[in-house]
Parts: sequence; structure tokens; C-alpha cells
Amino acid sequence: MTMTCHEIKDVTVPYLELDLEPSRIRDVTAHLEGCGGCRAEMEAVRQVLVRVKGVAVPDPGDRFWNELPDRVRRDLVREQAMRHGDTVPLRPPGATGAQVKIARWPMALAASVLLFVSAWSLAGLFDQGSAPAPSQPRAVAQGNRLPASEPDLPQLGEAEWHQLWDEDPDMALVEMAAGLDRQAVDRLFRDM
Amino acid sequence: MAESDDQVLDRYAAGDETAFEELVRRHQKTIYNLAYRMLENHADAADLAQRTFVQAFLHHQSFKRESSFRTWLYQIGMNLCRNAIRDRARRTHEDVHELELADARDIFAETAGTELKNRLGRVIRTLPMRQKEALVLRVYHEHAFTEIGTIMRCSEGAAKANYHHAVDNLRRALAPDEG
Repeated sequence: MTMTCHEIKDVTVPYLELDLEPSRIRDVTAHLEGCGGCRAEMEAVRQVLVRVKGVAVPDPGDRFWNELPDRVRRDLVREQAMRHGDTVPLRPPGATGAQVKIARWPMALAASVLLFVSAWSLAGLFDQGSAPAPSQPRAVAQGNRLPASEPDLPQLGEAEWHQLWDEDPDMALVEMAAGLDRQAVDRLFRDM
Repeated sequence: MAESDDQVLDRYAAGDETAFEELVRRHQKTIYNLAYRMLENHADAADLAQRTFVQAFLHHQSFKRESSFRTWLYQIGMNLCRNAIRDRARRTHEDVHELELADARDIFAETAGTELKNRLGRVIRTLPMRQKEALVLRVYHEHAFTEIGTIMRCSEGAAKANYHHAVDNLRRALAPDEG
């Protein structure tokens, strides 16, 4: 089938990219063999495509490629946190919908409780010091007796400790520290 | 045999952290390249590539697997590119194409420095957005028109028409007596 120049113009790009039926390609080729104008136009379009393809994107370098996954991960965690209120995702969300997340307020509560328990444990430790058990350093130091004049563990009884703790926890801590300083530290150095 | 993207995505969905990094590494160059071709500077392209992956992982459950994961990433990336170009224009109240001329680094001038390449860069920048998308996807990413249609969310015929118009515009703009 003979094609007109106008028809050739419409199929220039598909012809160059071999995106035509084989019979159509034969028709275009036949036209080009006898038409200098269309041949020149075809070559001009081919040159444009070659030039466009020849423009490269500068490579940002290995460091960029190596860091991109971590940057994506940080952004993703931030986005997920924003979308789910104040929750922090611990792992990728599962397809089953199972997500392991810990809300921040229980973590804060747990920290407060831990702090409180620690304070009580510390208080209990010094409290035990007022009524020394056989397992206390005193027993360890038996073979290395202290002088009679050496001040003993704090002289407050358990009830008094509790009362002091209730009335003035700061002062109770100061007392405990003073007791620790007098006995445990001195005894420790003497044992050494 | 190498694991397919869908298989790696399944691992990610099941909580495998290594799958996340594997998917990013597999496609980061492709997506960055697409963003650079559309936005024409490194900072914007890097930001857009990052956002493309974040969006993909945020919404991975909405990926219906009707196309490949890669095509789906292209769709997300191309949408973000469109938005970024529109945002640029909105920010400065300028015409999109004039803004691109003023704002983008002339990568074509950098790589060649010839008047023809300068003109080529300017013409590509001033192409209508859909034509530029079709040109980038076809010339630089060598997609079939079916896939270009999927990425651009249009028919294969519309993708072809946009591409042919783009080449035609380039040809006319670069002709010695017209450019």
C-alpha cells in the first residue's frame, strides 16, 4: 500500500522504535526509499531521540545509596507515629493486621513505678541497717572487730524510720547516707 | 532463583525488617532517576525518592498486586512529582513552566554545554506535564506503552499520543529554522 507524506509523519516515531506491524514497516520503508523529504524528517527525529537519550543523570554516589534505606526507615517511623497518635511502632506492620506497639503513657507509668519501687528498696536497705541481720557486713567483719567506740548502725528503730520517712523523706535519706558513710565505708576500707 | 518483589513484600508484611531494606535497595536508583528527570535537581529528587518509599510502605496493604510492585512505585513517584511541580508553581504564583525554567538546574547545560543541548533542556522543561511524563518513561525508563498507561493512569493510546506529541514538539523546537 502506498503511503502519503502526511501518513508517514504520523508514524515516524513508531517506525523508529519498531512499534508497527511488519507490513506497515515495509510500507514506510518503501515510501522513504522514494521520498527525500520524509527521509530527512525521519533522520531529524532520530537525531532528537538520540540526543534526548544521551542526557545522563549524575550519580549521587555510594554514600547516598547506602544511607537512603535508613533515611526512609526514620521517615516511615515518624509518619507512622504521627498517624497513630503517640504510639511508636516496633516492627513493620503485619499483613494480618497484627502490630506490636507500645503506647507512651504506659511506658511513662512503668518508669514512675520503677522509680518509686527503687526508692522504697533503698529505704528498706537502710532500714535493715538499723537492725542488722547476721548477713550484714557486721558478721563478715567478725574476725576484724571494730573498736568499742566505733559508732554503730543508725540508732533509729524501724517505727522511727517509718515515721521519719513519712514526715521528712529528705531528712531520712540524709540520715541513711550519714549512717552508710560512718559504718559501711569505714568498715569496707578497714577490711581491705 | 531470586525472590520476586511480591515475595519480599510478603516478608515485610510478616514483620521481616530485612525485607524493607531489600525492597528499597532494589528500586532506589530507578525511583531517584525518575524523580531527577522530572524535577531536575538532586535535593528534590532525593527527597521525592524518600517520600515515594515511605508512602509505599505506609500503604503497602492497599497494593492490590494488579501490576508489579515496581510499576506501583512508579505510580506513587509520578504522583508525587506532579504534586511537587504544582507546589513549586503555587508557592511562587508563577506559571509552572516558567518556574521550572527559573528554578531547576540546567542539567543539560551541565552535561554538554552546547547551545543545542541548552535548547533541548529548555524544550523538555516546557513540555506539558503529561508529555514530559510519557517522554521520561519511554526514553529513559524504556517502558512499554501499556505500562506507561498504567503508571500515568491513562489508556495505552493516550500514553502513545502524549509521547508522540512530545517528540514532535522537540523536533519542531530543535529544527534550525524554528528553534
